[in-house]
Amino acid sequence: MADYAPVDLTAEGQVEFELNGRRVSAPAGTMLVDAAYALGVEVPIFCYEPRLGAPIGACRMCLVEIEGMRGLQTACSTPVQPDMVVRTNSDIAKDGQDGVLEFLLENHPLDCPVCDKGGECPLQDRTFRFGPGRTRFVEAKRHFPKPLDLSSVIALDRERCISCYRCVRFSQDVAEDKALVMQERGAAAEIATLTGDQYEGRFTGNVIDICPVGALTSIPYRFTARPWDVTNTPSICGHDATGTNVELTLREGHVARVTARPEPNYAVEEGWLSDLSRFAYEGNRAPDRLTAPLIRDDGRVKEASLDDAVDAAALVLGRGGRVGILVGPTATVEEGFLAQELARTALGGARIQRLGIPGAGLDAIRSQPRAELGDIDGAGLVVIVGGDPPNQQSIVELRVRKARRRGAAVITVGPRPHALEPVGTAVRSEPGRLAAAIAALDLPEAASTIVLWDEADLAAEPDAAGALARIVGDRGASQIELGADVNGAGLRALGLGAGDVLEAAAAGEIDTLLTIHADPLDGPGAADWGWALGRVRARIAIAAYASAVTDASTVVIPAATHYETDGVYVSMTGRAQRLRPGATAPAGAAPGWELLIALAHRLGAPPPYRSAARAFAAAAAARPALAGLDYDVIGVLGAPVAAVTPVSPNGVNGPREAAGTGLPLVTTTRIFGNAAAHRSEALASVRTGAELVLNPAEGERLGIADGARARLRSPHGECILAVRLAADHPAGAAFATTGVPGAGVERLLPADRGPVNVEIEAP
Amino acid sequence: MPIRNVVYRQREAGQVLTDLSDYRRAGGYEALRTALTEMDRDETVYAFVRSGLRGRGGAGFPMGRKASFIPKDSVLPAYVVCNADESEPGTFKDRELMETNPFQLLEGITLAGYAIGAVRGYIYIRGEYEHQARILDAAIAQARTAGFLGQGVAGSGFDFDITLYRGAGAYICGEETALLESLEGKRGQPRLKPPFPAVAGLYASPTLINNVETLSALPAIIEHGADWYASMGTEKSTGTKLFSISGHVMKPGNYEIVLHDTTLRELVYDIAGGFRPGREFAAAWVGGSSVNVLGPESLDTPLDYESMAEAGSSLGSAGCIVMDDSGSIVRATLRLAQFYRHESCGKCTPCREGTLWLERILQRIVDGEGRMEDLELIESLAGRMVGRVLCALADTGVLPVTSAVRRFRDDFVHAIENGGVPRPEPMMEVPVGG
Repeated sequence: MADYAPVDLTAEGQVEFELNGRRVSAPAGTMLVDAAYALGVEVPIFCYEPRLGAPIGACRMCLVEIEGMRGLQTACSTPVQPDMVVRTNSDIAKDGQDGVLEFLLENHPLDCPVCDKGGECPLQDRTFRFGPGRTRFVEAKRHFPKPLDLSSVIALDRERCISCYRCVRFSQDVAEDKALVMQERGAAAEIATLTGDQYEGRFTGNVIDICPVGALTSIPYRFTARPWDVTNTPSICGHDATGTNVELTLREGHVARVTARPEPNYAVEEGWLSDLSRFAYEGNRAPDRLTAPLIRDDGRVKEASLDDAVDAAALVLGRGGRVGILVGPTATVEEGFLAQELARTALGGARIQRLGIPGAGLDAIRSQPRAELGDIDGAGLVVIVGGDPPNQQSIVELRVRKARRRGAAVITVGPRPHALEPVGTAVRSEPGRLAAAIAALDLPEAASTIVLWDEADLAAEPDAAGALARIVGDRGASQIELGADVNGAGLRALGLGAGDVLEAAAAGEIDTLLTIHADPLDGPGAADWGWALGRVRARIAIAAYASAVTDASTVVIPAATHYETDGVYVSMTGRAQRLRPGATAPAGAAPGWELLIALAHRLGAPPPYRSAARAFAAAAAARPALAGLDYDVIGVLGAPVAAVTPVSPNGVNGPREAAGTGLPLVTTTRIFGNAAAHRSEALASVRTGAELVLNPAEGERLGIADGARARLRSPHGECILAVRLAADHPAGAAFATTGVPGAGVERLLPADRGPVNVEIEAP
Repeated sequence: MPIRNVVYRQREAGQVLTDLSDYRRAGGYEALRTALTEMDRDETVYAFVRSGLRGRGGAGFPMGRKASFIPKDSVLPAYVVCNADESEPGTFKDRELMETNPFQLLEGITLAGYAIGAVRGYIYIRGEYEHQARILDAAIAQARTAGFLGQGVAGSGFDFDITLYRGAGAYICGEETALLESLEGKRGQPRLKPPFPAVAGLYASPTLINNVETLSALPAIIEHGADWYASMGTEKSTGTKLFSISGHVMKPGNYEIVLHDTTLRELVYDIAGGFRPGREFAAAWVGGSSVNVLGPESLDTPLDYESMAEAGSSLGSAGCIVMDDSGSIVRATLRLAQFYRHESCGKCTPCREGTLWLERILQRIVDGEGRMEDLELIESLAGRMVGRVLCALADTGVLPVTSAVRRFRDDFVHAIENGGVPRPEPMMEVPVGG
């Protein structure tokens, strides 16, 4: 893992010193371990992990000899000093390393042959490189029953634990969930939760990555593979808009595991994953995964080959009717571009849109200077407007907590309670009145300000978006969009709008609809889409999972998921990053870009390229926002797309009134309350459902008790939800959970996720 | 008898001084008045420096120098922390001070607080000292009522108060940074140093930490003058020192003596009454248990810091544990190794694993499963602990083991060659029930 902090050996203010007889230099203040590593000398470590905060010097593995200092020093906590003479390989230093390893192995079970960490274990590797060949310990080792379930996804083998405190520090100092502690003392010390409950949270799986031994292992991954049986591929998480960098472990064609990359992307996730990013991969083989092409003919459904299905799709699309193309939020840039090319050439005149938020009023704020997630760390003031980042763009939470630990002021403004509110000063806005709350903000002076704003909330309140854009501009701040959709930014960069097809279909102007990773019947505006799609005569679906849309499609072509395809996603901060296939698509499925190229061939307008890389290059050549990018430029860590052309906040940013009567609807989301979490067995014990949350006063007024069920009705549609009365939610609003499969809260919303009021009654 | 009751003012007064009026009648709070009215802060620190008073908790670091390390320009408040976690084996001198002379400690803390410009003092008292904690609590309340604590101490412009905090029963919390962690409500484990507490101690603020006895000596130093204090003892070992003596002696207890004026022999035989008839001196751990054990050849060593160091040991906390020839040094060494294994906090590897390993080896030797190479192994393991651990627990905790193996090697060899160490005969029948 990220063991050593990156060191810039060319930075200003270098300190010269001697390392193993070599005259070297490193920036002043650099810890000796990091400097040595950057200079090609590995000083072994276990407890040191720069991302966890200041060093604690617990494991003593990094003992080195420093001339003039008594005994041996821990290189993890010794900053480089001018002219210090350091030896990491002298007899005494080696004796230090040898000694610590002998002590560590004294109680370590050496069950490496059956340990999941075996083969990728820092303790194993460092013993091999730095340790003693044999032990002098003849007594019985410490024994514990093994393993314990620290949670439904983390197994704890206490015998293997070397008390490095990394997991405890992650819980206490990074996630700040304060759950993990060291219990007992001395050789009896063991990791546990303070309460004795399971270790549950949004980031728990990170302790598996940072454990330097096999003490904390992944229950879904346990005993499924040996490190030499797998290949690891760097890719991007496809479950939120943050562009979290991940590594996919591939075994026999399947994703066996998702971990942080060994070299984190410090500008994005810094090596910390949410549990959704880490454990959702099990859904890649969920029962609702489409694995065979289907052709519906006169009400009969038959399985077909991929070739036949593409032929059939071409036949239907080529009949000459008016075609609409719908590109879903998880489609890659390549898929979006190829769909646009179809609409431009073979299906000339076809209408095309992405499924997402139109956000016409957001360009003013979007065109303000962008920041990366990594910039949050160093901000003096962090302002979060709307949204619920811990549940929607989870890793943002860790960045904001880190900024706060470093002294940043944090201010949150928004209509719904969320986990970052207690981190700073929380301003609760009335539903639909964000603009007023923003205008009333009294922001402290700060050297640097970063404003994080929620795409959906501000799209629903263009006046607030305009006001915020003015504040960002006036303060010289930078901004980060809390994007709602995985590749929303990528599809926008292609110039895809978000309303055309719905309008046309509702007007009866679409005969044939092609959906690409798009499931409008399960998303916002589901009721409106249902009505509009009823007027479409034929549907073709390119999709990875079964849905109401695929159930009603003439031709269904299974597509690869983001775990299985090449492609580019653009993160909410405007970072283009590459998906790399970590798994093989099912035999009856293919990557969307391949299917779209095949379709173009069948329709007689073959594009001059046959690979995802070339398709992306063509997109980059054709779209100014992607200018200059290709797979090489994007590389392993990504590259920024062009900035949005500046737009004045004056003009389009007027207020927008909610439709309907009753209480304003405030949508909420839960990290484990979406389709991805519901598909993954690993997340079964933490997944959550949908509910209507009301302030107890509202419950009393409406005559609805806690635990009862209620019917919600908006001008768009209706649904029935369980009710929870909670005093921490303000009166004057109805809080309903979106994203939960089958709950139908999306039916209440318009397709653009604009503001609505809901009438609530007992069903 | 070379007894000189300076810090044990209650003995000199012939009564417990748990009532403020009694303490004042015995001269109490005169020093604080003097300091507040006649001395500025620097002068007070300088008096501590000139007195030569060394930290009485065990490390022996000059108290005045420590006080002078407190930065004057810190934006954070400074604190005085009294280490009352008296946990060193054989050490019970502070207990008597807190039980019978609590105001002197409060006065000492207040003097130290005045000297470094602190806003508050904390007494971290070991959890087992419940009775003593009650006495201190009552004393703090009395001092507050009488104006010796709180806003404008003793009518001066100096605001200062003291908070008592009870530990939860861990030897490691006597280590100053572990104490601070515990005081902050965290798990008691040592911190990585630097930064040292003088710069970043309690709540990352400048903090002066001293032992109960050290702080209790301050009133006498201010009252009678630093020169008077420094005139006792030697240049590097000034003043008086409280000794706790326990073990096979006839009169175990606390005794205050002038440093250097008394030898170990005089302490054991004259002051503590020697041994039961027919028994001879075998060994002594003079500075608590975390020191090298001494044999009879060291009996004429004067009791002061330098002489004890010269003799190959250390004055430590002056909790002197004495053994006569009726016991087994091997078994005693195992018992001490058990103590350090039990009290190791587990934070750093060499201490966590090393103390356990040493105990296991000694247990084997006592059980008759020892091997000759174990004696070299003990040396080797100890060598891999000392100077490589996070705090002093193992650094000094291995000393009684390695020194015993060196000084009493024959006893260990005998145990290895003769099937271990037999269980000791009970000294007397203990009646059951009653």
